[in-house]
Amino acid sequence: MSGQGNFDGADEYTVEVADPLLMETLHRLFTQTCSHEVIQAAETAGWADTIWEPLAGTGAPWVGVDEAVGGSGGSLVDAVGVLKLAGRYTVPLPVAETGLLGGWLAGAAGLALPEGPLTVVPGRPQDRLTLDGDTLSGVAQRVPWAAKATYILAIVGDEIIAVQPGADGVDIETVRNLAGEPRETVRFERAPLAHRATAPAGVDAAALRRRGALCRSAQIAGACERIAELTVEYAGQRSQFGQKINRFQAVAAHLVRLSSEATLIGMALDATTYAIGQGDAAFEIASLKSIAGDSGSDVIARAHQVHGAIGMTREFVLHHLSRRVMSWREEFGSTSWWREELGRMVGGVGADALWPLISEGSASLQR
Amino acid sequence: MAVAQSSARIGASKGFTYTTFTAAEEALKQEVREFLRAELPTGSYRPCLGMSADHDGEFTKKMAARGWVGMSVPTRYGGPARSAVDRFIVVEEMLKAGAPIGAHWVADRQSAPTIMRFGTDEQREKFLPAIARGEMWFSIGMSEPDAGSDLAAVRTTATRTDGGWLLNGTKIWTSNAMQNHWFIVLCRTSPNEGDRHEGLSQFLVELHGTPGLQINPIAFLDGTYHFNEVVMTDVFVPDEQVLGEIGRGWSQVNSELAYERAGPDRFLSVYSTFEQLLREKLAEGELDARSYDAFGRITARYWALRNLSFSISRTIDQGGAPAVEASIVKDLGTSFEQEMIALLHDLWDDEEPSQEAATLGNRLLAACILTGPSFTIRGGTNEILRTVANKGLAAWHGVSR
Repeated sequence: MSGQGNFDGADEYTVEVADPLLMETLHRLFTQTCSHEVIQAAETAGWADTIWEPLAGTGAPWVGVDEAVGGSGGSLVDAVGVLKLAGRYTVPLPVAETGLLGGWLAGAAGLALPEGPLTVVPGRPQDRLTLDGDTLSGVAQRVPWAAKATYILAIVGDEIIAVQPGADGVDIETVRNLAGEPRETVRFERAPLAHRATAPAGVDAAALRRRGALCRSAQIAGACERIAELTVEYAGQRSQFGQKINRFQAVAAHLVRLSSEATLIGMALDATTYAIGQGDAAFEIASLKSIAGDSGSDVIARAHQVHGAIGMTREFVLHHLSRRVMSWREEFGSTSWWREELGRMVGGVGADALWPLISEGSASLQR
Repeated sequence: MAVAQSSARIGASKGFTYTTFTAAEEALKQEVREFLRAELPTGSYRPCLGMSADHDGEFTKKMAARGWVGMSVPTRYGGPARSAVDRFIVVEEMLKAGAPIGAHWVADRQSAPTIMRFGTDEQREKFLPAIARGEMWFSIGMSEPDAGSDLAAVRTTATRTDGGWLLNGTKIWTSNAMQNHWFIVLCRTSPNEGDRHEGLSQFLVELHGTPGLQINPIAFLDGTYHFNEVVMTDVFVPDEQVLGEIGRGWSQVNSELAYERAGPDRFLSVYSTFEQLLREKLAEGELDARSYDAFGRITARYWALRNLSFSISRTIDQGGAPAVEASIVKDLGTSFEQEMIALLHDLWDDEEPSQEAATLGNRLLAACILTGPSFTIRGGTNEILRTVANKGLAAWHGVSR
C-alpha cells in the first residue's frame, strides 16, 4: 500500500504507524550511542562520529527520501518517527537536515544524494543571497551544521542551489543555538555552485519552512515525551520533608499537566502527519508548530520546577532536552510567528468555516 | 511500512491513538449538520454555552426521533445502540452549535449507561426506552453541602424499612431538578467508619410527586435558574428502585463519573462565543496581529484537544478504559477554555461585557466570563482530578514508581 493513510470509503479506517522494526532498531541504537557524556562532548565538538557512523549505516537519515534519488525510501510517517526518536535521544546531528529537508531539496533538484550529511539554509529574514553566473554571494544565517555538511542547499529565487562548504568564497562563522547545536552564519563571496536547478512546483521557501516546522515539531514531541517520563520518574524517587515529592499535590499537578501537554504535542504530530498524506496540510502544520512551541514551553517550565536545582546543572540529563526544546521552538518559524500565520488563515476562512477547519482540517478548504 | 487497522493499537502517542471517521461516521456527521442547519440556522437563536444548555424538551424529542438521545441504549431496550464515536459526533456538533440539549444531557451521557450497566432488567425496561424517546430526563444526585469533590463524605442516609428504604438528607447544586423526572441518589447505607468508600449505595428517585421530597431553587451567579437543593425527609424508595448493589455505590459512581470526563463537553463551552465574536470582528474589517495571534492559539488548541477527545471515544469502542486519558482531556479542555475567555476579553475590551449589550458576541462573552469559573469545578475539581490521575501516571509512562 502506498501513501500513508487511507480513507477509501470502507467501513474501516486505517492510519499508518511508523515501521516498528525501524523504530526498535533506532531505539536500541540511540540507547547505546547517545549517552549523557557523548551528547555533552558533541556540544563542544559540534559533531559526534560515534553516533553518525552507525546511524548512517542504518540509512535512517534518508528515510522518507525516495529511493530513486538515492534515499532510503519509506514513508513520511516513518521519517517523522525517526525524527521523534532523534528528539527523544537528543541526537546532536543533522538528521532532519539530511533527509526530509536536504534530501527533499536535492531530490527535487536532481542532485545525486552524497553519502555524507546535508544541510539547508532555513531562510531568515536577514538573509541576502544572490546568484551571479554560476556563483553565489551573500549571507545566510542559522544554517545547521553548515561546516559538516557535504552540501549546503538553498532556495534562491525559483532555483534550488547547492554549495560545498569547503569551496572557495565560503566563510563559516560558528554560531550555536541555545542547545549548543551549530547554527552557523555562512558568507558566500562568489562561491561556485556545485549544482543548480529550477525548483519544481510545490518546492519553494514557504514549503521548506513548513517541512522544517514539521521536523522541529517531531523532535520537540520526542523530547517532551522523554522529559515527561524523566520528570515523573524523578518525582517518584526524590524525597523532601520525609516523603516522595510526587505526593505533594502541587507537584502532582505539574506532573499531570506536563504529561498532558507532552501528549497534546504527540497527538498534533500524528494528526499532521496523517493530513500531509491526504494532501495540503498548511492548517495542521501551522497548528502543530504553534502547539509544539506553546506546550513544549509549558513542559520544560514544569519539568524544571519539579527537578529543582539538579535540573539546572549540566550533570543531569534534563538540560540536553530542555535546551533543545528552547531552541527548536524558535526554528523554521517561531511559536508566535506560526500562531499569527494560523490566525490569518482563520480570519481568511471566516466564522462559518471555522468549525469545519477545526474538525476536518485542511481537507475542509479543498471542497 | 506498517498499517494499523481500526482494531489495533497505533501507539504513536502515548495512551492516545490518532483516528479518523469511517464512511458511516462521516455520513452521520453530515446528517447532524443538516439537521442543525434546518433546526437552528445561524443567527436565528442565541447559542447556549456547551453542556449547561437550555432545557428544551421539544428539541430533545426531535433529536430522539433521529436516534440521537440515549445513544448507547441497546436496541432491545428501544435505543439506537450507537457507538461512543457516534455519540461523540452528535455531541460535538450540538455543542459546537450551542444547541439546547439540556433536557436529555445527563440522561444521555451518564444515567442511561449507568442503568444499563448496573440496573435490573425491570429497571432497564422501565427507564431506557423512555430515555431514548427523549421523554425521560435525569438529574445528578451526588453533591451535598458537605460533599463536593469528596463524594465519600455524603451524609444522606438510606435506612432499611419494610419493602424498601427511607432516604433522609439534602442534595445540592442539582441542575434542572425542577424540570427533570428522575435522579440517581448516592446515599450512605451503612455508617462511615473504617473504609469510607464502603457502605454507599445508589437509588433511582422520582423528582416529582414523591412524598417527603422538596425542591428549592438556588439562583446561579449569572442570575439564571437551573440549580436546586433537593431535600428528602423520610422519602420511601421501594426495593425495585435500588440501583446496582447495596454497598457498591462508590465503584458505581466512579464508573458513572468516568462518562462525564472526556467528552467534547469539556472543551466546547466557549466555542460558539468564539465563533460569534470572530464573525462580528471580521465584519468590522482587518484585525491586528495580536488578534490573529490569539485566534491561532485558540484554533490550534481546539484542533488538538478535539483529536484527543475523539481518540478516547474510539478507545472506548475498542473496549479500553482510558482513565488517565479522560482526566487529561478534562483538565486541558476546561483550563484552556478559561484561559480563552481571558484572551478574548483582552482582545476586545473596547466594550465592557454586559448581558444586555447590543451585540450577541458581547452578550455571550459576558455569560462566559460569569460562568467560566464553573468549568474547572463541575464533574470534580481539576485539582482533585490531577491528584487522582497522578496515582496512575508512572504506570502510564511505563517508568518506575
